[in-house]
Order: sequence, then C-alpha cells, then structure tokens
Amino acid sequence: MFKFRDISIRNKLILMQVFTSVLVLFVVFGVFIYTDINSYKVRKKDSIVSLANVIGTNSISTLQFQDQEAATKMLAELHNVAPEIIHAGITDANGQVFASYSKPGEETFKIPRVLNGKAYVFINNQLFVSNPIMNNDQILGRVFLEIELSDLQQIKEYKYELAAVLLSFAIVFSFLIALLIQSYISRRLLQLVKTMKKVGKTGDYNKIITDDGKDEIATLIQVFNKLMQQIKENIEKKDQFIGIASHELKTPLTSIKGYVEMLDLMQTEPQKKQFIQKALSNVNKLERLVKDLLDVSKIQSGQLQLEMQEFNIDSLLNETIESVEMVSPTHKIIRTNDCDNQLIIGDRQRIEQVLLNLLSNAIKYSPGENLIEVECEKTEKELIIKIRDFGIGIAKEEQLNIFERFYRTKDLSMHISGFGLGLYICRDIIRRHYGKIWVESTGKGSVFHFSLPIKHSLQTQQTVV
Amino acid sequence: MNKILVVDDDQDILMLVQVMLSMNNFNVEAVSRWEEIDNAMKVFKPDLVLLDVSLGGADGRDICKKMRLEKNTEDIPVILFSANAEMGNSIHDCKAQAFIPKPFELSNLLQTIRTYVN
Repeated sequence: MFKFRDISIRNKLILMQVFTSVLVLFVVFGVFIYTDINSYKVRKKDSIVSLANVIGTNSISTLQFQDQEAATKMLAELHNVAPEIIHAGITDANGQVFASYSKPGEETFKIPRVLNGKAYVFINNQLFVSNPIMNNDQILGRVFLEIELSDLQQIKEYKYELAAVLLSFAIVFSFLIALLIQSYISRRLLQLVKTMKKVGKTGDYNKIITDDGKDEIATLIQVFNKLMQQIKENIEKKDQFIGIASHELKTPLTSIKGYVEMLDLMQTEPQKKQFIQKALSNVNKLERLVKDLLDVSKIQSGQLQLEMQEFNIDSLLNETIESVEMVSPTHKIIRTNDCDNQLIIGDRQRIEQVLLNLLSNAIKYSPGENLIEVECEKTEKELIIKIRDFGIGIAKEEQLNIFERFYRTKDLSMHISGFGLGLYICRDIIRRHYGKIWVESTGKGSVFHFSLPIKHSLQTQQTVV
Repeated sequence: MNKILVVDDDQDILMLVQVMLSMNNFNVEAVSRWEEIDNAMKVFKPDLVLLDVSLGGADGRDICKKMRLEKNTEDIPVILFSANAEMGNSIHDCKAQAFIPKPFELSNLLQTIRTYVN
C-alpha cells in the first residue's frame, strides 16, 4: 500500500509543491470560471427581462382590446428578433394563455411550472422568464419567455478546456520548478544520508561533509561531523588500547609459555611433568582467550584486517584436522568427501581459525562420542563446509543466539569454559569473506555450515562493494 | 656453530630464547637495547637476526630495512617477532624472511630459525 511516509524526502518535496500549486490554481480557476459564467447569465437575464418588458408594453393594447391575432403576430416576430427564444407566451389577468409562440419544430407553449412564482430561473441550459404586464399599477397579464442558452454550454466547455490545459501546464511547470527547488534541500539531506550509510557499511569514520549553510540541515551536518570526529577519537583511543593490551598481555604470556615449555622439555619425573603439562595447557587456554578478546575488540572497531590470498581449501582442511587430532586424541575427524582441490580467495589464517574453532567446539560439545564428520558441498557460486558432531545438539531457540558475543548455552548440565566469543569471531570472519555461517541441529548433534564464495563470484562481489 | 643475534627489550623473553637456542647448539648473542645492535653486528657477525618489532624507541621493521641497505648486513636473514600479530602483514615491506607472533611455541621458533640457517 502506498504510504506518503515511506517515499523519499526528495519525492515528498516534489509532491508537496506540485500538489500545492495545483490546488491553488484549481481554486483560482474555479472561482474565475464561476464568476465568468455567472456574469454571462446575469447579462443574458437582464437582456431577456428587458425584452419581456418591451413585449409586455407592446401587448397592453392587445390585451385591453382582446386582440389575440395582433398579439400572436407580435410574438411571431420574435423568430427574427431573438432566434434563441423557444417559447413565448402572454397570459391574461386570469392566467389563461392569451397568445403564444413556439420556435418551429418545438412543442406548443405551456406556462412553465418551473418558475413557481419567481421572475426568472435557470434550468440546465434554459432560461425561463416571467414578467408582469403593468398598466397604471394594474396587472393585465404576464409575459413568459423560454430561452435556449446554446452558447452557455459552449462557453462552459471552452472554459473547462482552457482550465484543464492550463492546469496540465501548471503541473508540468510546478514539477520542473519543484525538481529544481527540492534539490537544494534534499541534495544536502541525501548527501548526509548517503555518507551515513557509507560510514555504517564501511566503518570509515573519516568522512566529513562540508556545508556552509546556516539552517537546520546545516546543524544536522555539523552534529554529524562532530559525532564522526568523536567516534574517530574514541576509535583511536581504543586502537591504542588494543595495541597496548596486545603487547602487555602477550609479552608476559610469552615468557610464561616459553619457560613452562622449557621446564617440560627438561623434566623427566612423571608427576612433575604432569603438573607442568597442566600449567602449559592452561597457559594455552589463556593465550586463546586473550587472542579472542583482542579479535573482538578489533572486529568492533573495524580493525580486523584480512590478508587475502589464493589457497587450496582441501590442504587447509587436512592440515587443520591433523593439528586438531593431535591435541584431541579422543575424537576421530573424518572427511566424507573432498572439495576437488577448490581454490578460494581469502585470509588462510582466519579461515583456519574458523575451522579450528568449529572443530574444537564439535569436540567440546560431544563428550563421550568419538566421531566428527567434515563434508564439502560445492555449488556454482559457493563452497559449503559442514562440520557434524553427534553430541548434545543445540535447542532451536538458541541456534541464532550462539553467534552473539558472550553467549553461553543455557544447558547447565555441562560446564563449558570460554568467553563465548569463538562463534562471534567466526561469523565476522565468514561475513567478511562474503559468506554465511549457520547451524542445523535436530536433537542428536549439530551441523555447523559455513559458505565461501568461489573465486569468480567473490571478485564480482568485491567490485560491487 | 651458527651465530644468532637476538634482540628483545623484554629481558625474560631474551633469556628464554637465549637459553633455548644455546641448548640447541646455536651461538647466541642477546641484546636488549636497539642502540647496541650496530655494534653487535660488527663484532658478533650473526648468521641470523631474531628481532622484536617494538623495541622501546625503535621499530624492528625500520632496523630490518636499514640492514637491507648496508652491504655487510643485506644478506643476513631476519626473523621478526611481535606480540602484535597484525605486524606479520608488513614483513614484506622491510624484506624480513619470516614473522613469528608472540606467544610462540619454542618448537615453532626453532623450526623457523633452522629454515634459514644451515
């Protein structure tokens, strides 16, 4: 359904201007046509009334002498004097028709009832006039005239046509003028909207709009610029923080990890070695958490950069599966098919991160099971990787939420460690590759899917963006 | 015995790498201040330089670039390492051989070093 609210400001302004000018012109033309036709009617009525007066004066003697023949003859003359008269009639003091005239081809004269005591009346395109015949304040009878106003119709038609033509021109002109004027207002607004959309999409907060106006739109633009400036400053601060945090958190971690690894290499006593390995695995866990937190900060400030290159998805899958199996010997990860050595353009390290995340999730959420399946599906435009586990599955209402930041499963029957950032990061990485990530789960186990565009379609998408 | 110059402003990491490489039969010179690099190059004449990117006042990448311009040092392999993993994207600009993000696995570090010496 058409809603005025939904159309663009530009079209609103045009519509409003066209509508206003057409409405004003419509009223003006209406008034003009009405007064024009009215004055024509008044003039016509006046001339017919005076004609009736003349007829009345001339028929006084015929009425006094009851000379019907003379009266009829006089009326017959009307055919030459005023051919627009259809019927004319003279009645005597009793209201009886004394003499009458009808234009050839018309019916015979009848006293027009439409007058109903009035001196004149317009009905359709006809004028009826009734005028008393007076002699020394005595009413001798009446003159009735019925006139066909054939030119009234023509005048009306002419005026209407003229008005219609002028209105059409007015619509065209007001549209053109509106088109010019609206651009002054809407151009600036649309520029603002366009820039805002672009900023929203690209996260490039360096966009500043120059505008030297002093109206509300200028204020809006100034506020926008100011906000952009503030956001930029905040991002710079955040970047600095990420940089510092990155360095300050990772540097001690590097030492801890290195020294514990050294201890592990040097230690042979089983009990001590076991303790050291526990410390080491927790250091690794901590390292992953720090990395995730920093990744999320980067995602949020639009700083996560991808290093695009062409790579073979099959070799990446094999390498990743091998490294996951090395640290998680409880599960066997099998590939149900291969991806025909499909080449993908993307950030190999980041895609590996996604795979590692999904595979370690699959292991984490399927305790007691020992199988993970990795499947490859190829369509014309994209490659879909599916990672299937046979674990606890994901309730339908949770399937969308799991990709949100800090989301933790409501299923408290198992304790799962982590911040709940992994899938959020995965989703961002896949989205930046113009792909999709989703989960399907029907009770027993879940299947995580992610799609990556195949080379040619990625390139076209990039040019669009 | 291959000679390796390690530069890092963090004393603990410096010692860690020094000990680990010594245990693996490398001749190691550890330097914590970037100002000492020039001297170490001349005196120690390393076969490989393991260089931290943020050196408190200097950028490892700039040092690497400078090395590439000098005749004596232009052919010495450089491995950069940094806690900022994004730095890995810029190693081509300064013609470093490899980049290792911190925290690193000792085995990984060792393997990378062995790729460029021997």
